[in-house]
Amino acid sequence: MKDTYDYGQEEADSTLACHECDLLVSLPELKYGESASCPRCNHLLTRRFMGAHNKILALSISAFIFLIFALPFPFLSFTSQDKEYVISFADNIINMALMDFFSIAILIFFTTLLIPAICLLALIYVLISLQSKRLFPYTHQLLQLVFILVDWNMAEIFLVAILVSFIKISSLATVVLGLSFWSYAFFIICLVSSLALLDRYQIWRKVKLHER
Amino acid sequence: MKDNHLDNAEQNHQYGCPVCLTLNDMSHPRCRTCHRHLHLINSNSIQHTIALLMTSIILYIPANFYPIMYTNWLGSQTASTIMGGVISLWEPGTYPIAIVIFVASVLVPIGKIIALSWLCLSVTIRKSDSRRINVELYRITELIGRWSMVDVFAVAILAAVVQMGQIMSVYPGIAALAFAGMVITTMLAAMTFDPRLMWANQPHHFDKEN
Repeated sequence: MKDTYDYGQEEADSTLACHECDLLVSLPELKYGESASCPRCNHLLTRRFMGAHNKILALSISAFIFLIFALPFPFLSFTSQDKEYVISFADNIINMALMDFFSIAILIFFTTLLIPAICLLALIYVLISLQSKRLFPYTHQLLQLVFILVDWNMAEIFLVAILVSFIKISSLATVVLGLSFWSYAFFIICLVSSLALLDRYQIWRKVKLHER
Repeated sequence: MKDNHLDNAEQNHQYGCPVCLTLNDMSHPRCRTCHRHLHLINSNSIQHTIALLMTSIILYIPANFYPIMYTNWLGSQTASTIMGGVISLWEPGTYPIAIVIFVASVLVPIGKIIALSWLCLSVTIRKSDSRRINVELYRITELIGRWSMVDVFAVAILAAVVQMGQIMSVYPGIAALAFAGMVITTMLAAMTFDPRLMWANQPHHFDKEN
């Protein structure tokens, strides 16, 4: 993994500035399961897991599949006075737009659907690219995009909001959670665990090592 | 942990890329790994944070006084504000949900605005004795900021689901928009606030040796 002739570069790469307090820290070679924190502000710098990138790839692919399955099926359905009301994910956004709340419709569409989807696709692309012999084009740009967009992912908040509104409606009528809801819940589980394993330093280090 | 350099990267004329953490020389305008455009620490970060904070405070006023949700129930329309929503959840006995909504849409935004104002103030007057608390404050602020969106999303879902014509229908109010704007501006304010300012020009002391 480590090229001996390029030792100087390797040394320089193991020094980094703490993202929170700007202290220069030279990282020791981490073993699997170890983590490094900044000695001054205690900010977690990096963690190294056994097979983290394979796990992220697997979780991202399954999250994306669950996300696709969350779209077409009913999300919530309830019966009131012999009439059944069914709503899917898209209905939710379209209804919002129809009520002249276009900005909220766009906000929901971006933060709970588009941004997580872009992040997942970009992650899958980058990780497959890291497993091939040469990096695919735009690997750097896409990985950069992941780290910029990931702060705006609000999918898990949407899940909590669904549960809140579920309880609000259940006092009025019998509500049934549809197939889409369960699919979305599994999507959240995969997404959150995939993002928890993602480590800036480790993945960029792998990209850098791959380039040589 | 081994620690050779007791200085800030800034004093060594180096810059850690915020996206990929690569250490770059300040002479380069772009990061050598991910080619991101780099800028220095003190480039008006505080002014941006304060401007965004003020916007969020202004947006917070209509968000609380205008109704976030209209409910049509058998022909009669009732409007409810954020606090009204919390109270209407508290009274029938759904305490956990009432607490979630209260924390997410009342406590967190106010706490976040106060915390960020305090951070800006303490950085400006170079107060360093409360730094350890400030660091924790910053981390919590960044972590929980997004969760205020719960109420906006819940109203959006309710409005989309509960459309039974004359029997009962729910419509979002203007406060939902203001509240969403407030959450976004506080998130942006927390992102533009540079935590490295808390440590700038400070000598390095080890409080505890790990």
